[in-house]
Amino acid sequence: MNLLEARDITKRFGGIVALDGMHFAAKAGEVHAILGENGAGKSTFIQILSGALVADRGKIMLRGKTVTAHGPGAARRAGIAPVFQELSLISDLTVGENIWFGDEALTPLRMISRRALNARTAALFAELGLDGIAPDRLVRSLSIGQQQLVEIAKGLACDPDILILDEATSALVPHEVDWLLDIARRRADAGKLVLYISHRMGEVRRVADRITVLRNGETVGTAETSAIGDDEIVAMMLGRRLNRLFPERHATATDRTALKASGLSVGHQLKGMDFTLREGEVLGVAGLQGHGQRELFMALAGAVRFGGSLEVWGRPVSIRSPRHALSQGIGVALLPEDRRHQGLLLAKPVRENVVLAALSRLTRFGLIDRQAEADVVSESVSRLQIKVGSPEQLAGTLSGGNQQKVVLAKLLATDARILLFFDPTRGVDVGTKAEIFAMMRDLAASGYAILFYSTDIAELVNVADRVMVLSYGRISATLPADQLSEDRILRATMIGQVAA
Amino acid sequence: MIPWLTNGLRSPSPILLAYLGALLIFVAVSLYSPGFAHPAHVSTLIVIAAFTGIVAIGQTMVIVGGGIDLSVPWLLNSAAVATTALTRSSDAALIWVVPMILVSSAGIGAINGLAIALLRVPPIVMTLSMNVMLMGLLFIVTRGFPPPPTPLALQWIANGRIATIGLPVMLFVWLALAAIALVVERRTAFGRYLYAVGSNRTVARLSGVPVAGTTIAAYAISGFTAGLAGVLLTGYAKQSYLGMGDPYLFTSIAAVAIGGASILGGSGSYLGTIAGALILTLLTGLLPIFRLDAGALKVIYGAVILFAVAIASPQLRRFFRRE
Amino acid sequence: MKRSLSSLLGRTDGWGMPLVVLFIIAGLIELMRPGSFGLEQLALICASAMILVFVATGETIVVMRGGIDLSVGGTLSLASVISATRADLPGLDLLPWLALILGVGFLIGVANALIISLLKLQPFLVTLATWSIVEGIALIVQPSEGGTVPPVWFAWGYSRPFGIPISVLLLMLLMLWWAWFRRTRMANSIRAAGSNERSAYLNRVSLMGTNIAAYGISGVMAALAGFFYATQTGAGSPVVGAQYVLPAIAAVVIGGTSLAGGRGGLTGTITGAFILNLTGTVVFLLKLTSYWQIVAQGAILVLVVITGSIVEARSERSGADR
Repeated sequence: MNLLEARDITKRFGGIVALDGMHFAAKAGEVHAILGENGAGKSTFIQILSGALVADRGKIMLRGKTVTAHGPGAARRAGIAPVFQELSLISDLTVGENIWFGDEALTPLRMISRRALNARTAALFAELGLDGIAPDRLVRSLSIGQQQLVEIAKGLACDPDILILDEATSALVPHEVDWLLDIARRRADAGKLVLYISHRMGEVRRVADRITVLRNGETVGTAETSAIGDDEIVAMMLGRRLNRLFPERHATATDRTALKASGLSVGHQLKGMDFTLREGEVLGVAGLQGHGQRELFMALAGAVRFGGSLEVWGRPVSIRSPRHALSQGIGVALLPEDRRHQGLLLAKPVRENVVLAALSRLTRFGLIDRQAEADVVSESVSRLQIKVGSPEQLAGTLSGGNQQKVVLAKLLATDARILLFFDPTRGVDVGTKAEIFAMMRDLAASGYAILFYSTDIAELVNVADRVMVLSYGRISATLPADQLSEDRILRATMIGQVAA
Repeated sequence: MIPWLTNGLRSPSPILLAYLGALLIFVAVSLYSPGFAHPAHVSTLIVIAAFTGIVAIGQTMVIVGGGIDLSVPWLLNSAAVATTALTRSSDAALIWVVPMILVSSAGIGAINGLAIALLRVPPIVMTLSMNVMLMGLLFIVTRGFPPPPTPLALQWIANGRIATIGLPVMLFVWLALAAIALVVERRTAFGRYLYAVGSNRTVARLSGVPVAGTTIAAYAISGFTAGLAGVLLTGYAKQSYLGMGDPYLFTSIAAVAIGGASILGGSGSYLGTIAGALILTLLTGLLPIFRLDAGALKVIYGAVILFAVAIASPQLRRFFRRE
Repeated sequence: MKRSLSSLLGRTDGWGMPLVVLFIIAGLIELMRPGSFGLEQLALICASAMILVFVATGETIVVMRGGIDLSVGGTLSLASVISATRADLPGLDLLPWLALILGVGFLIGVANALIISLLKLQPFLVTLATWSIVEGIALIVQPSEGGTVPPVWFAWGYSRPFGIPISVLLLMLLMLWWAWFRRTRMANSIRAAGSNERSAYLNRVSLMGTNIAAYGISGVMAALAGFFYATQTGAGSPVVGAQYVLPAIAAVVIGGTSLAGGRGGLTGTITGAFILNLTGTVVFLLKLTSYWQIVAQGAILVLVVITGSIVEARSERSGADR
């Protein structure tokens, strides 16, 4: 009998369907991996399982019985413990208080006994083989990696029947990953169920007994890990790729240097980078999460302070702020990682979003020139084929793809000719992805210079002219066009891992 | 214009509701007590509303930008005392005194903004401290001695009527300031920046909006309008006294809230605030008619604010839509 | 691992810094007028600080929950007025009457919490409105300062059980209560909800329950402050509460509780309340007019916050240990 079964689960967010009648089944005593691209519905599914979200339709069954109660408390009572990628720790409480939250041993006066709490935590850490984290430290003072370990310990503390590991290794160093995989394996051998969500195929191969692949909110299939090859898994994840997802690539780079960085560094995250970006070029950036890409992009956009020197169109500059980066003499514009929180004013009309970064250009005698504004907006809407009812439609009501186009339109409305694309296709539908890639190549051809980071290596291989690979804050390789392949890029990220 | 109207009626905006509310109160009270609608009484109400309305210009801008200005009462009071103390009832002195006071008021507002934008002091803490410091200093400086009466020219602006049409001068002062406020809010880059900063600072910053400058300017404007209201209020009261600014903390914030702005910033308009100021003043006008005392007015004020923010609450709207 | 003084001061609830400030001020006073902190003087200081301490106690809990409570101004006034309406009550009926006064405070708090949670409204506006409503009710009950407190209560306000002045005893009780409360699950849940509502929800915290607890405690404490005010002055005042709203927030902030929620505690707040109180003594000893106290309080508040934000910015820049 299946320990866990999900049938016909559907969940919508506004107009976006995150899960579309998906189904899932897992047995006790296995490590079951759930795979899928960004936006496939994995995280929505585990949030429903752990009570953080309520499904619009469908049912979840445990040991053959339908679960009726909702909410994190009900999930916990049913023996489900999630370890979230986004972390559910309370930063203002201590490690011990977080791990046993709501299950603390109480003194006769109904007080939480600190001593008991810390002793219990120390015992748990000893049992799990974790060391180096004091139970009475505030979570706020821990590094991200340590917080992730605490989150894992917290999930294990209640000895759940079902442990959900959601990208739990993203901030861990290799030996910690080994530690976690070992724990997952042992729990399965002890008859528990472990759900393992990860982008890292190597880990999945090492630990998972079976694999279920999701795509566009639906279940594609389930297979024994040993009976299926990587290519097949990738094919299941991607489905039938659009024939023309990627545009034809003609080298459009000129000899002119748009951007030259020497010794670029940001805190501990970026440790001295030298590179040049040329006019007409799309320079790809690859790397595992947290290896300095974010800092690189934020530094160039003027959003964080950096060391080293920078030349823009041959002139040495120091970029003080995003406003300075966008100003006429420099012209560097960022398409940020998180469009809902960094890119768009969701409660404002498309019109105001599009012109926000270009207002100084549209102002005459202190007043905004409405005609000029309307012209810019209508030109962007038609050029980028943004599907809006009217320019007055609120940005938050658009689909993911159209929202991203609005952010792009905002960049193009400025004078900037150096564009920084940070994972521009995240949460964007396939059709819009193709449009964005075509637009990037068109822009390059018309003299823009583009720096392009993507979590999807295939995008880099097919769109960029060159790719530089970041590993632990340094460039571990720069691959020219004729050497671009997913294999080579992946290997370069791995080499950096091993070296460090 | 027609789609605007039909959309407005289908899902009424808070601003429209605020004006309807003001109209409703006015009509209802006028029917009950015909003297209420007498032109003389109406123009008195308008003059009273104008003071709240002027203070609320700055408060609207600050709140739209995601902050709050609690330094309004004693900044206003300081400006009022400075006006009477420095002019010594001389009309001629107004020419240099008033500009000086307005610039200083804006400067004090800018200090608020600087600490908030650059030193990351929470707006509540900064403006609160500024308020009590100004209060203390004002008590110390005046030593409790009442300054001389207000110059007659100011008294005319605050109390006078334009003879030919019989409308109060203050109405035109308010209208002119309101027009400027609305143009700044809607047609200038600063206005757009203000809404952007109040909606989402990160997005604003990454889009090249001068976040610190915008914030400082908003508080400076608030200092300016509070100072201006203080100057004009000495004309209305014919003198200055300590405590004359106290009511304006509550009424300026209340007018903004009733006018439909979110206290979290990013939305709202001075157009709504005007309706808020009118409603608050009309409610004051109820007192003599229904023989209400100050306590009843406070209860009504509080209830009106709660009602106004509650009907703007998405939670409540969703609830009723489900019914 | 080396622990510097600053990290030690920054630990626990962040009351290290304010405590240092308090000792500096107390030291100055002792220098200017030796013997300022004898038992009798301490009793006087305590008595004058307790009203603020009570209000600020409730405010601390609400701010830890990530909210703010302005309505305490109204609640304090209403409680003081009710306390002074029934001088004729016989002794035995006084306890239920006190319970009623505190109950009114609690209900006001619960009303705040329900409006905030159910309608998802901003605490600042909601409590601004309820402040107005409750103060209005106080004015209706008793339009001006006056009334008479039952003689028993008045005597109680100046009593010395076990030879300890009542205000000192109350302060000790309050600290005992805090020593207990801060270790309860409810306190951790309130902190959690104030720190991050989503994480708190994932940890099975009831967002509405923590709101009801926080604003309920705040209402009771404000009512207690009003009651204590009445026993000290022998009368009630429908407007006195307004004087305490801003100092209460100031005491909380000076005491190291973050307005962003999640952090802080009562120890710092009590320290902050005494700092604000002692500035009055300093101003008196410097032979300045009493209004300098207000200016000094504002200046201290701003300076403490600016220092705090600079220290925080610096520690953020140096980064968590990796």
